[in-house]
Amino acid sequence: MLRSSSNLGLPRKVVVFYLLFSLVAVSWLAVGLLFTSHSVAESRTTSTSLASLGKTAAALELDYLQNGTANLQQILQSNQWSSGLQSYAVVSLEGTVLAHSDLQSIGKPANETRGEQLSWGTVSGVRYENARGQIVNEYRVPLVAHEDHFGTLRVAVNQLSFWRTLGEIARLAPTVILLPLGLIAVGGLYLARLASPVAKVDAQLRRIALQRPTIDVEIEPLPANDAVSIGWNRLVKAYQSLNSSKDSDGLESRLSKVIAARGQGQMQAVLHNLAEGIAVTDMEGRITFANRAISALLGTETTNEELAGIELEGYILAASGQADSRRLFEEDNTHRPMITECESQTVADPRTLRIARLPMQEESMHGHVWSVRDITQQKLTEKTRDQFIDVATHELRTPLSNIKAYAETLVTCDSIEVEQQKEFCNIINSEVTRLARFVDDLLSISSMEAGSIVIDRQRTITAKLFEEVLTKVRPLMKQKNIDFVVQLPEKMADVEVDKDKVVAVVVNLLGNAAKYTPENGRVTLRVKIDEAQLHITVEDTGMGIASDEASKVFDKFFRSSDPRVQGETGTGLGLALAREVVRMHGGDITVESQIDQGSTFEATIPIK
Amino acid sequence: METRVKRALIVDDNVALARVTQFALDGAGYETETAFNGRLALDAALETQFDIVITDQQMPEMTGVELCQGLRSRPEYADCPIILLTAKGLELELPRLRDELGIDATFAKPFSPSAIVKACGELLATATVEPECVS
Repeated sequence: MLRSSSNLGLPRKVVVFYLLFSLVAVSWLAVGLLFTSHSVAESRTTSTSLASLGKTAAALELDYLQNGTANLQQILQSNQWSSGLQSYAVVSLEGTVLAHSDLQSIGKPANETRGEQLSWGTVSGVRYENARGQIVNEYRVPLVAHEDHFGTLRVAVNQLSFWRTLGEIARLAPTVILLPLGLIAVGGLYLARLASPVAKVDAQLRRIALQRPTIDVEIEPLPANDAVSIGWNRLVKAYQSLNSSKDSDGLESRLSKVIAARGQGQMQAVLHNLAEGIAVTDMEGRITFANRAISALLGTETTNEELAGIELEGYILAASGQADSRRLFEEDNTHRPMITECESQTVADPRTLRIARLPMQEESMHGHVWSVRDITQQKLTEKTRDQFIDVATHELRTPLSNIKAYAETLVTCDSIEVEQQKEFCNIINSEVTRLARFVDDLLSISSMEAGSIVIDRQRTITAKLFEEVLTKVRPLMKQKNIDFVVQLPEKMADVEVDKDKVVAVVVNLLGNAAKYTPENGRVTLRVKIDEAQLHITVEDTGMGIASDEASKVFDKFFRSSDPRVQGETGTGLGLALAREVVRMHGGDITVESQIDQGSTFEATIPIK
Repeated sequence: METRVKRALIVDDNVALARVTQFALDGAGYETETAFNGRLALDAALETQFDIVITDQQMPEMTGVELCQGLRSRPEYADCPIILLTAKGLELELPRLRDELGIDATFAKPFSPSAIVKACGELLATATVEPECVS
C-alpha cells in the first residue's frame, strides 16, 4: 500500500488525500448532522409531547371539576395524540386506572414500570424498554383541580427512533450530502487539473530518478502554457541546448568527433590545395571525389561538382586529346597499382602527365585512388640530363680516345720518326686543351647560373676588341674557304664591357657560323654602335635551324636532331654561355633562321 | 695460304683517331684506307674490296651499324669481318649485333690501337706481316 501510494506521484497523492480527507470530513459532518438532527427531533418530540400533555391535563382537570372522573376516558379518547403514542392512562392516587387506552385495564391497578427516571419541571417520567424492544418514554403529569390532587396522567410515547431520524435525513441526502460530495469531486478534478503539469514533471523526475546514472537523461517539454509548464519547458530547452553541444558518449567521444570533423575538413582543404591531381573512383570508375588540380592538369574548366559521377579514365583520354585510345590501363589489372604516362595534347603547351591508379585498400570503400602529376618539368630535366650525358660522353671520350691512342702508339712503337712523334704530341696536347675547355665551359655555365661569376666592365677600345675576334676566327674561315665579310663602322666609340667574355661570345657565334656553313659559303659580321648599345650581327649561309629548334639553341647541351650536324663536335654549351654573358651585361641574343638558307644571330649589349 | 696484303677500311669521323688507327695497322702490314663517315666508307667499300672493316658507330650521315647493314647487303661483304668502335657502351649489345649484323668485335673508346691490330689479326686468322707495333 505504501509502495503503491508512493508510486502514485506527488500531485495524485495530493488529490487522493484531498478526496480522502474530504470524504472523512463530510462523513464526520454527516454523522454529526445525523446525531444532531436526531437529538433535535427527539427534543422537539419531547417538547411537543409535554405541550400536548399540558393541554390534555388541563382539559382533564377542568372536566374533573364539573363532572368528576366520569368523562376522563372520553376526553382521552377524543384527544389528538402525536405520533408514537404507545398508551395513555389516568391513574388515581390509589393506583387504580381511571381511564386507559386499553379499556380492559380500567379499574385495575396501574402497572408500575421501572426504568430511568426522567423529570421535566412538574412532569416526571420513566424511560424503559417494552416487550418489543422499543424505548418508551412514559410522561407522568399530576392532575390537580383546585388543589385536589385526583390522579396522574400517564402517557407512554415511543422514543424517536435513530433509524427514523436517519430515514428522514436520507430524504434530504441529495441536498445535504450529495451536494458537498459533488463539490468535493469538482474540487478534486480542479485540483487534478491544476496539478496535471506538476504530475507530468513529477513523472519525468521519477523516471529520471529510477534510471542508471550512466544513461543520459531524456526530458520532454510540456504542451500546456501554465507557469509550471513554461518554467519546465525553459529548463528542458536549456538542458537540450547544453546536451546538443555534448556527445551522448561523453567528452572523449565528442572531442574525437570534433577532431575527426575538423580533421576531415583539413584533409579536404589539403587535398584541394595539392598541386597533384587526386581523385577517387567507385568500382565502375566513376568519380566520387576530385580535387581542384585534376581539371587544371587536364586543361579543362570543369568544376569539382561537375566531375562527380563522370567516368575518369574516359575523361582523361578525352581531355588529353586521346579519345581514340581505348584505355589507359588494362581492364584485368584493376586490383594492382598501375602507372602510365600520358601526353596532354589539348593545351597549347603540351604537358606530360603521369597517371597512377591504386586500388582502394579500405574495407568500407571499394574503387580506386587516382593521382595525376604534371611531369613535364621532370621530363625536361631528364632530357637535359640525357643530353648532358650524351654530350659529356662524346666530349670526354673523343679526346680521351685520341690521347690514349696516340700516347700508346708513342709508347709502344719504336719506329716512329721524330716529326711524327711531334705531330702525335701536338695532337695529344690539343686534345688535352679541348678537354680542359670543355671542363671550363661546364664550370663557367654552372657558375654563371649560380651567380658566382660577375662581369667585369672595363673601358674597352671597340676596334681592338674586334681585332682580337678576327684574329681568332680568320683561320677557321680560311680553312673552309668561307667568304668572311666584316662590316665594322669606321669610327667606333669605346665601350664598357667585360672584354674577354664579349670576345668569347663573338668568337663563339662566328665559330658556329663557320662550323655549320659549307665550304665556299659566306659569313658576315656586322657591328653597329649607338649611344646605348653595341649591336653584333653574325649571318651565315649555312644549313639553318629548324623553326621548332630555334628557340632551344641557347639551352644547355642542346644538340640539333638534324643528321647533318651529328658529326660536328660541340658541347652544346657555347650558345648557352654566349646568352649568359650577354644577359649578364643586361642585353639579349636572338636567332632567326631558315633551313638551308642560313642563320642570323644578333646580340645586343648595353655599352655602359 | 693466302699471301695477299690484307686491306683494312678504317671509318671514323674523328680524323685524328682514324689516323692513329691507320698508323697502327699500316705498321702491322695492312693496306689501309680511311673514310670519315659511313656513306664515304660505303662508297670506298664498293670501289675496293676490303678484307676487314673497322668502323666507329656514332658518325654523321650514316652510323656504323647502318654501314654494317649496307655492307652485309652486298654478297662480297657477307663474310667480311667488321669491328665496331663505340663510345656509348654498345659492347653490351654485342650478342645481338653479332647475330643480326655479323659484327665480330666491338671496342669501347678509348681503346688501344694495338688491341685493334691484334683483333684484326685474329679475325683474319693469318697476317701477312707480323705487326711490328704490337708489343
